[in-house]
Amino acid sequence: MFDRSSTIKKLGKELLLENLKRMLLIRNFEVRAEAAYLQGNVGGFFHSYIGQEAIQTAAIQALGPKQWYITSYRCHALALLLGATANELMAELYGRANGNALGRGGSMHFYTPRLMGGFGIVGGQIPIATGAAFALKYQKIPDQVAVCFMGDGAVAQGAFHESLNLAALWDLPCIYVIENNFWGMGTAVANAISVEKIAESKAVGYGIKGYTFNGMDFLECIHAFDLLYDEVLSTKKPVLAEFVTKRFKGHSVSDPGFYRSKDEVKEDMQRDPIIALRDVLIEEKMINLDEFKTLDKSLRQVAIDAMKHAEESPWPSVGTLEEDVFAP
Amino acid sequence: MTEKILVEYREALRAAMDEEMTRDPNVFIMGEEVGLYNGAYKVTKGMLDKWGKDRVIDAPIAELGFAGLCIGAAMAGLRPIVEFMSFNFSFVAADQIISNAPKMYYMSGNRFHVPIVFRGPNGPAAQVSSQHSHSVESLYANFPGLIVIAPSNPYDGKGLLKSAIRNNNPVLFLENELSYGDKMEIPSEEYLVPIGKAKVVIEGKDLTIVSHGRQVLICMEAIKILNGLGIFPELVDLRTIKPLDITTVANSVRKTNNCLIVEEGHYFAGIASEVGFEVMEHCFDFLDSPVQRVCQRETPMPYSKPLEKETLPNEGRIVASVRKMLNR
Repeated sequence: MFDRSSTIKKLGKELLLENLKRMLLIRNFEVRAEAAYLQGNVGGFFHSYIGQEAIQTAAIQALGPKQWYITSYRCHALALLLGATANELMAELYGRANGNALGRGGSMHFYTPRLMGGFGIVGGQIPIATGAAFALKYQKIPDQVAVCFMGDGAVAQGAFHESLNLAALWDLPCIYVIENNFWGMGTAVANAISVEKIAESKAVGYGIKGYTFNGMDFLECIHAFDLLYDEVLSTKKPVLAEFVTKRFKGHSVSDPGFYRSKDEVKEDMQRDPIIALRDVLIEEKMINLDEFKTLDKSLRQVAIDAMKHAEESPWPSVGTLEEDVFAP
Repeated sequence: MTEKILVEYREALRAAMDEEMTRDPNVFIMGEEVGLYNGAYKVTKGMLDKWGKDRVIDAPIAELGFAGLCIGAAMAGLRPIVEFMSFNFSFVAADQIISNAPKMYYMSGNRFHVPIVFRGPNGPAAQVSSQHSHSVESLYANFPGLIVIAPSNPYDGKGLLKSAIRNNNPVLFLENELSYGDKMEIPSEEYLVPIGKAKVVIEGKDLTIVSHGRQVLICMEAIKILNGLGIFPELVDLRTIKPLDITTVANSVRKTNNCLIVEEGHYFAGIASEVGFEVMEHCFDFLDSPVQRVCQRETPMPYSKPLEKETLPNEGRIVASVRKMLNR
C-alpha cells in the first residue's frame, strides 16, 4: 500500500530535492523551448510534457537509468532525465549539427544510450519496447526491464494489442505505462477508448496485472514504479499501468485547445505536480519558498543558456546530408 | 578444387541461417510456423530441433507485433531473422518496416542501428489470386535505409543471405515460392556473395536483358528461343535491387546498345522504371533503340490460369518485345 510518509522517509531530503530539481529543469526547458518555437527558432511539431512531469521523473528515480526506455513523440522530459543535456536537446530543436540527433530528428526524436526514442507514429514504439524486453530475456539479463511510455490515444492502435499479447505470451519483462492525459490530440479519451480504468480493464484480457495511479503525485508515482518493477521481476510477466494525468498545454504548440474550457485547464493547473511536491518539501521543512524560487530561477537560467548555446551552434553542413543513411 | 554439393534453394537458405546462427549467438529466427511446423515452405525444416525454441521462435499471426518486436530487439543488440510466410503479409507490419527500421540509424544521429533481415516468398506463386501475389520490391525500395535483395538461384541465395545477416542495416530478402525446390550445385565450403553487385549470367551481343529474382529463369528460357532466331542477348541478374549496381548494367548496355528490362512486378513506378531511367542517364549516347520493358500488367492478380499467365512476363512476351526492338 502507498504510504506517503514512508516514501518521503525512504527517499530522504537529498533525493527529494534532486527530483524537484529535475522536474523544474523539465518545466523550464519546455517553457523556453516553446518560446523558441514561437520565435521561429524551432520548426516542425512540438509536444510539451508540462503537467505530466511527475510520472517520468519518478520512473527514472525508482528504476534507475539502466533500463531500456521508449516513449512517444512527447519525449523531451525522458531525454533530460536520462542524462541528455539541455544544451544538446535545445540544439536539436534548433536543427543544429551538434544537436542530440545531429539535427536529423527534431522535437519528436530524442535519444540517449538507453532511450530508444522518441517515436513519431502513435503506438509505433510499443512493439519496439516489447523487442527490447525480448532482448533482455534472450540475453538472460535478470534485473533489467523495458519501460514503454504511451499516451491514452495509443491504446486504440493495433500495435498495442499485438505487443501486449506477445509480451504476456512470452513472459517479457516490460512495464507498459499509459499516461492518460484525457486527450488524444483533440479527441476525449471517452470518445476513443471503450473502457474506463484503461490498464485494469485491458490487462485482464492478457492475463497480466493492471494498475491505476495518480500521475500528478510524485510520491505516489515513486511507489507505483517500485511496485511495478517488483511485480515484473518476481512474476516474470509484463505489467500494464495507467497514470492519470493532465497536460497543461495543447497537444502540440499549434493546438489552441478549443475542445476544453479555460476553467477546466485552470482547475487542472491547481494540481500542478511540481507545486504539489514543493508543498510537501516545504511542509517537511526541506526547502522554503525563497529557496524554491532560487532553484527555479537557476533552472530557468539553464534553459535560457541552452537557447543561447543553440543559437550559436553551427548548422549542419549540407555536405553531410546523404551521410549515414546506412550503418557501416 | 572446391567440393560441390547439390542442394535445393530452401536448403541453401537453411544452410546460410545455420552457419550464421553458429557464428553468432545473437542471431535467431522468428515467424509464423517456422518451428514446430518446420516452415510453411520447409525453409526452416529441422531448425527447431537443432537450435531449440529460444532461437527458432514460432510467432502468432501478428506480423505488426513480431516484426516490430524484432526491430526493437535489433536496436537492443540482437540480430533477428524474420520470416514472413508471404511478403504480402508484410503490409500488416508496414508501419514498423517503413517508419522504424530504415529511418532509425539516420534519425537517431547514428545512435541506434537496426541489423535485421526480413525474408520470405515474394510475388506470385501458382494461382493464389490478388492478395497473395504482389511483388513488393518497388514499394520498399522507395525507402532510403532499406536494402532490398532478390536472388534468383540457390548459390546467390545462400551467399547473399549470409551477407544480409551480417549487415548492420534492415534487409528485405525476397524469395519465391516456386523456386524453393530449384536445385543447383554450390560449394560445400562457406562463401559470401556481396550485397550490391549485379552479375552477367549469360554473355551476349545484341541487347542487354536486365532482370531479378525468379524472372531471371524466365529470361533464360526466352534467350534459348532467341538464340534459335540468331539473336544473342546478354543477361544481367541484378541480385541486389537496392543499392542498385548500375555500373554492371551500364557496362553491358554500352556493349550491346539495346536494353530490355523484365520485372515480375507492375509497370508503374516499378524497378524497371528505375533501371530504365538510370540506363538513359548513363548510356544515352550508346542506345540504338528506346529502352523497353516487360512487366506485370496493371491488374490485381487474377486467379484463373490463362489470365495469370498472361498478366505476368513470360517467354512469349519477352521474345516478342526483343524482336520488335531489334526489328528481326
